[in-house]
Amino acid sequence: MKRTIMTLASLVLVLVFAGSLLATDKGNSRKGKSTFRKGCRDCHVEGGKAQEMSPSNKTQAQWDAAFAKDKYKGFPCKAEWDKLTPEDIGDIYAYMYEHAFDSPSPAKCK
Amino acid sequence: MTSPIETPLSRRSFLKWSGAATAAAAVGGKAPVLYALTPDETKKSFAKPDSRYSVCGMCLNACGLVARVENGVITKLDPNQKFLKSRGMLCARGNAGIQQLYDPDRLKYPLLRKGERGEGKWERISWDQALDLAAAKMTEIAEKYTRCGVMFTPGSDSQSLFVHWFAEVFGSYNVSTHESSCLLSRNRAYLDTFGEVPFADVLHTKYIIVVGANPFEALITPDSIDLMTAKKNGCKIVVLDPRFTKTAGLAHEWHPIRPGTDMAFFLALSHVITSEKLYNETYSQEKLSGIEQLTEHVRQYSPEWAEKECEIPAADIRRIARELAAAAPTAIVYPGRRTSDYVNSTQIRRSMAIVNALLGNWDSPGGLLAARQVGLSGPELPEAPFYDDNPEHRLDKGMAKMMFEEEGAFKHMRDAIISQKPYPVKGWFVYRYNPLQSAANRQKTIEMMKQLDFVVTVDIAMSDTAWMSDLVLPAPSVLERQDPASGLQGSAACACVVARDPVVPALFESRPVFEILKGLAGRMKLTEYFDFTMEEYRKQQFKLLPDADRAIREDGVYYNPSKLYGIYEGKIYKTLSKKIELYNERYAQMGVDPIPVYQSPKPNPVNQFRLVVGRNAYFTHCTTQNNALLNELMPDNSLWIHPVAAKKLDIKDGERVEVTSNAGKGELSVSLNNGIREDTVYMASGFGVLSKGLTRVYGKGACIAELIEDYADDISGNMAMHETFIRVAKKGAL
Amino acid sequence: MNKQLAMVIDSSACIDCKACTLACKVENNVPEGKWRNWVKRSEPDFNKPDWMVHSASFHFQPGGCMHCEVPTCVQACPTGATYKDEKDGAVKVDPKLCIGCGSCIPACPYGARYRHPTRNIVDKCDYCEKRRARGELPACVVTCPTKARVFGDISDPKSDAALLLKKNQSVRVINKESDTKPNMYYLSATAPLNWPVKARMPDPIQLWKMAGPLIWGIVGLNAIGVLIMLGKQILMNDKAPETDESHEETRQS
Repeated sequence: MKRTIMTLASLVLVLVFAGSLLATDKGNSRKGKSTFRKGCRDCHVEGGKAQEMSPSNKTQAQWDAAFAKDKYKGFPCKAEWDKLTPEDIGDIYAYMYEHAFDSPSPAKCK
Repeated sequence: MTSPIETPLSRRSFLKWSGAATAAAAVGGKAPVLYALTPDETKKSFAKPDSRYSVCGMCLNACGLVARVENGVITKLDPNQKFLKSRGMLCARGNAGIQQLYDPDRLKYPLLRKGERGEGKWERISWDQALDLAAAKMTEIAEKYTRCGVMFTPGSDSQSLFVHWFAEVFGSYNVSTHESSCLLSRNRAYLDTFGEVPFADVLHTKYIIVVGANPFEALITPDSIDLMTAKKNGCKIVVLDPRFTKTAGLAHEWHPIRPGTDMAFFLALSHVITSEKLYNETYSQEKLSGIEQLTEHVRQYSPEWAEKECEIPAADIRRIARELAAAAPTAIVYPGRRTSDYVNSTQIRRSMAIVNALLGNWDSPGGLLAARQVGLSGPELPEAPFYDDNPEHRLDKGMAKMMFEEEGAFKHMRDAIISQKPYPVKGWFVYRYNPLQSAANRQKTIEMMKQLDFVVTVDIAMSDTAWMSDLVLPAPSVLERQDPASGLQGSAACACVVARDPVVPALFESRPVFEILKGLAGRMKLTEYFDFTMEEYRKQQFKLLPDADRAIREDGVYYNPSKLYGIYEGKIYKTLSKKIELYNERYAQMGVDPIPVYQSPKPNPVNQFRLVVGRNAYFTHCTTQNNALLNELMPDNSLWIHPVAAKKLDIKDGERVEVTSNAGKGELSVSLNNGIREDTVYMASGFGVLSKGLTRVYGKGACIAELIEDYADDISGNMAMHETFIRVAKKGAL
Repeated sequence: MNKQLAMVIDSSACIDCKACTLACKVENNVPEGKWRNWVKRSEPDFNKPDWMVHSASFHFQPGGCMHCEVPTCVQACPTGATYKDEKDGAVKVDPKLCIGCGSCIPACPYGARYRHPTRNIVDKCDYCEKRRARGELPACVVTCPTKARVFGDISDPKSDAALLLKKNQSVRVINKESDTKPNMYYLSATAPLNWPVKARMPDPIQLWKMAGPLIWGIVGLNAIGVLIMLGKQILMNDKAPETDESHEETRQS
């Protein structure tokens, strides 16, 4: 019984923190920053081919939505996403989420 | 040509300038051998003085200055009259910048430790030897303990950004600056209220409450100067401080508040403002989130209740609340700078930020201001590599609830290094940072250093941290350096850009940290990340500011005429509710009090005093006490104690006392002072040094870092330096 | 009216940051332990009931040589090295004529003079003469954060100093027994006020003054006086008692 309560409690916590059930696990945000900057930043930069992209451009909820399962298949840069491993995507997700507009430490990708 | 010394007239002209140089170099008899004053130099003809712009580096304010150069020697620093941020002034420390440059105590050559750490036995080595050694040691540690095994403390200088960059490309995220001993909790609190860290429009305000800050001594430009102008224009100044500081002494009201109870005062202000509906209803509907929760929450915190905590009469609290509200939004609860005081310092500042928010003292004249656009660009540098073997997190992960991403909390990182958990750190790169004097609990810093295999310190003088290092590298003062551009926020005065060029060449063998890092990068296969010159770097910084370079050359500063007020008009706030948060929603989610809940500070143990930290106008933290010019203003520190308290201990003015805390001990003289509470004592920082390389200050006074116990704010990880109680006894009585 | 350089000081703006004292020290190579200018302070009366809340105040008062109308230091100088310059009204020391006897030091009620430890002359504020020659303001004036010191020619009604003086009530800080008519004006309500001491004139000159017309013709005696001072100086050299105690204050706090 005690264990069930614990599980429930942690589930509540996950819900609170994550906001929604996620398709992708969040990985290592420091690695995510590096992967994002190497793989995506060429286009997602001010004056670049695609819209400037920084963690602080979106809220945590919006990042959850953006990283929902297979959603990237509708993105113009689907081909680039396909090159990434699930771990890479998880890392980028962690980076974006942890430094989202409404996170404790919003970050602009510099 | 005859020697100028032969005729009386020539001799006088000679004295006119060489006297200026030597006397400025060593006011006080001990004539140093001046690098720039070789015999050949003295025989040169007497050139007209040359004036060159620079920016002061004696503290973080970066005030504009004009250096007068005569025959290759700087003979005087004057304020740059066109420099709006500093209102065309140069303070005592700024004037003493010349002494930092020509100080015989300067580090001159790379030094390698020979004896035990702190023993003071050094060997002069060449730069090549020094850089080879540092690169080899750091690489060795990286290979054995991962790259996060080297901690970087970049200081707060205009070249510190290169140390951050080096740490990133080297691969360590164990970075900590002075901020976690300073203003982290204020930043956290305002970020979590307004979504950003504000500046104060002191110049235009009509009512200001200064608490836990001392702007007439701890000079901040333009705030300190603007406060006096505001006062002349009729602004009322109310100061809460256990000490009668110069700010308190020049204010309209001083309330010697019981230390640690500031939050009670501000919750009571909120109580009066909400219960008497002294705020603007429309504003609160539009801009604020959580007015109902706040009103409900602060109902318990009446001025009568607060009086018992703060020892400020309820009638005064009520009156101040009404006066402040009547002056709003042209009113400020001053956010202050150093807020490293209590274990709940973020929540204390939240309670202050909430009063500002409630009264709408924001984004309009005489209130708090959002950061203005400065316009510098971040240069494009190659992507930093990622090292897969690195641990996932910074050392201090999880040791405070809401730490910032970029920099760790020194106290927590130190604890982690001592315990070697979560992982070992064995190297330390220090640039102009001196925790042995500035961080609470000096013994713990020494203990931490025992865990380290290699410590390299880059500094201008032999700080205590340099003294305890393995390798010491000499850096030039700002007057000898070319620096990247820096953007400065000058609140209502300006948003501006400065960039230094050397006024005189670097003395001795000193090298700017930028060059040192380039040298290290070259030895660590990291050349590509430092493959740029300062000119190239600056050029990229000025990408969007075509006029900046010329303006800086012509006036010593570039002003960006960016928007000052109403920056948030029509914009959403960077908070969860997208409004200014009286009630912080993220805190609620994280199990942190969404509105500050009062906790009474620990009571003084019997016969003990609360030790408080504070600045004066002569010293920048612990860095300028050994400067001959400033040292003369205060050659020693003493313990401020109230005469009534001293009488109980049978201590007389000027008597030597022993002070002890749970962290350490010290010995210094007492100065009886009516301007301090009977339960509180104070001493200036930066004395009781370990370093014999600081010849004027060595052997003087007691070290406050030795006495302060290491507490930290539980939200931001900011050091909490007012949580220590000390015992005071006549020397020999203990 | 001749040019009269003067300082008009709003001491209520002074925050005691000591920028002026260090700016002066660097500009004029003033040696360690000596000062050409100062900041004095007045503290609240801590014994007054309720002093802490409403009546607590510091008052800081920047000062320096007052370049007086009736300079007792000039009267005390046996060689004419100390003189009041008619061109600008400043009181100056000609180092060529100064024998370093120190007679002028106690003759100044304000402690504005000191004996230079190595140059064997007496030194004091000259309103930064060299700076002024380059068109710059004195170092203490230009560096002041709150611009408490306003400098200028008060005989020029359009100068900042004269305008400030005209617009405000002002006081001169003097010792009643030795009113030297200083050219240092403080906007009223400055403090402290009671610190200047009575000018102490050196004996031979005292004698000369007292005897007045009688001795006036006896040039020889005057010359003896000078010789006595010279001899005294040679014998005493640098061991002359320090009289600029008022500077103590700048070192405290």
